[in-house]
Amino acid sequence: MSAPHAPKAPRTLACPNCGGTLALEAAGLTVNLGCRYCGSLLDVSRPEVELIRKYNRARARFAIDLGQRGRLFGEDWAVIGAIKRKDQSDNWSEYLLYNPYVGYRWLVEYQGEWQFGTLLLDLPEGDDRAVTWRGERYTRQWSEQEAVTGTVTGEFYWRIANGDRARCLSFARGETVLSRESVEDEVTWTQLVPVEADEVRSAFAIDGRRMPRKPRPTPSSGFLRPAGMEADDLGPMLLVGLAAAILTLLVMVFIAGPVDRASSVIAAPYGMTREGIKVGSITVGRDHQFVRITARGREFDNRWVDLDYSLVDRASGQAVTGYGLVEHYSGRDSDGNWSEGNRRADTLLGGVARGTYDLYVDAGAHAWPVDLAVGPAPGWSLAEQIPVTITAEAGGLPWGNWITLLIFLFIPPGIIVWHRFRNS
Amino acid sequence: MPSITCPSCGAGLEASSAALPYSTCPYCQSLVLHSALGVEDMGKVAVLPFDMSPVQLGTRFRVEGQALTTLGRVRWGWSGGAWNEWLLESGDGAPLWLGEAMGLFMLTRERPELLGDPLVEAFARGEPIEPGHAILVDGTVQRATDVKTAQCLGSEGQLPFATLPGTQLVNADFRSRTGSALSLQKVGGAVSAWYGQWYELADLAPQGVRALDGWPLPAAFEGSRR
Repeated sequence: MSAPHAPKAPRTLACPNCGGTLALEAAGLTVNLGCRYCGSLLDVSRPEVELIRKYNRARARFAIDLGQRGRLFGEDWAVIGAIKRKDQSDNWSEYLLYNPYVGYRWLVEYQGEWQFGTLLLDLPEGDDRAVTWRGERYTRQWSEQEAVTGTVTGEFYWRIANGDRARCLSFARGETVLSRESVEDEVTWTQLVPVEADEVRSAFAIDGRRMPRKPRPTPSSGFLRPAGMEADDLGPMLLVGLAAAILTLLVMVFIAGPVDRASSVIAAPYGMTREGIKVGSITVGRDHQFVRITARGREFDNRWVDLDYSLVDRASGQAVTGYGLVEHYSGRDSDGNWSEGNRRADTLLGGVARGTYDLYVDAGAHAWPVDLAVGPAPGWSLAEQIPVTITAEAGGLPWGNWITLLIFLFIPPGIIVWHRFRNS
Repeated sequence: MPSITCPSCGAGLEASSAALPYSTCPYCQSLVLHSALGVEDMGKVAVLPFDMSPVQLGTRFRVEGQALTTLGRVRWGWSGGAWNEWLLESGDGAPLWLGEAMGLFMLTRERPELLGDPLVEAFARGEPIEPGHAILVDGTVQRATDVKTAQCLGSEGQLPFATLPGTQLVNADFRSRTGSALSLQKVGGAVSAWYGQWYELADLAPQGVRALDGWPLPAAFEGSRR
């Protein structure tokens, strides 16, 4: 006699393609699982794991790691799946959250803005222009879009695949959005409410440099178009001014060239981080300078190197820090040969004060798909160092002159705006 | 509560209701049929695969003032996945099914009068139901959304039908615009009609839910685990 089965969570399984160890948080509910290491799609709805589609892709990059736990809206959640989706004009990320006592929720991230999604059981009523839900009216936001699923990683409670298509229509009331998705005859409704990026970041302990950022506001949406003044030449005037300023800046950058430069080749050890490697010293001639750090890897493949820079002021001991990543992956799948990643990475450190600096780097190389897959035996580690050439440049641009130019360029349109403002 | 002894291993089994003549022995996986004539070992039932369901035998619910107790469970698998059907009993002895899918729960009560509907009669004769086929329940149009054939993956507790390996279920799901749902089930030639709606677990006021490693009970459930 054996006691009835006791629950243990989460279960793990091995990817039948790459052998990577995968957690199964929602055992019994999860149907498909995208391997976080190789991207292969698995059917895990039965005890015997089945390989649906084999891929050898680079590890998908999302702001939140699979398995991460966090607390949002008063409940604990595990991030168990992540997908990238796109329509004609935009692309965004969706994270599947799970709590066995509560069910599933969604976190949707678009250009640094986050929404929390809940599947609706009481369906809105209405037509394609407006719907009513719980006594309130929601109006349509844009025309129907077709959303296509891209990268798929982690667990999902339905059959999901790269290339899935759904017709999407959204209705809004204030900041709350009701999103309708149709796949053939199946219609699902999701309520989306905004969440502060900082709340998501602290809930799921997201590394700040991985947080998606808001895009800079484009000039055409801001000061160029005050209400009622859209159709005169004030806008073009400002645009021409802006273009001239940018052009001048480019020319200045071209002419000015680097003032000081330091460069050396470092060896990034595999599977560990080597800290405090000195690259060299540079002198920054004026305050508020940019220091550009360029990292170039050589012929490595299916590896990436994390680079943490510290630019230390010799006089004060204070450091300006930055991050770089060189990576390259390749392989072959059903679509033929593929490769992705960049063996070169540029990092710009801003607001560097005048002084003499030493540049240090912490470097660590990693293998894809899993670190353990390569040479765990001693002796291999030396061969598995990745040489990376690191160059730091302190450029000396005469910013003062450029700002003077900027002021002269924008005085005429500024006077017009001021006059109109006073007369209206 | 009347009890029976497993004819295979001698363990004591609960058998509270004549409407649920099949019990799965949790120790030896024997399917035991009990009736006025005695008990009979029908064969072995598949061991349920591990899952993270928060429901377990004995979990109680309170829905619209009615107290419900979980007595049994059968797990079905089809080409698109697998799901649990929990058998609940209300105080008056009526059975209910609690279907568990997508992290949500569909609670349905039996509606025997629907068996007289021409569409259901045709389904009982073996004619297929196609997506879009409609049936009227309580003045609401229910449209078939998917029809699937599933295999029994295992069972536990007390159930109204045998759950030996190879048992097949033909299930037709219908949905309405209001969120209510109908499910027609055919197991071993017998058709039954079940009508209800979808809930989140918290809406069912659960008591005695299953403890799950690494997951504290949500605040709304405090004191409900027993």
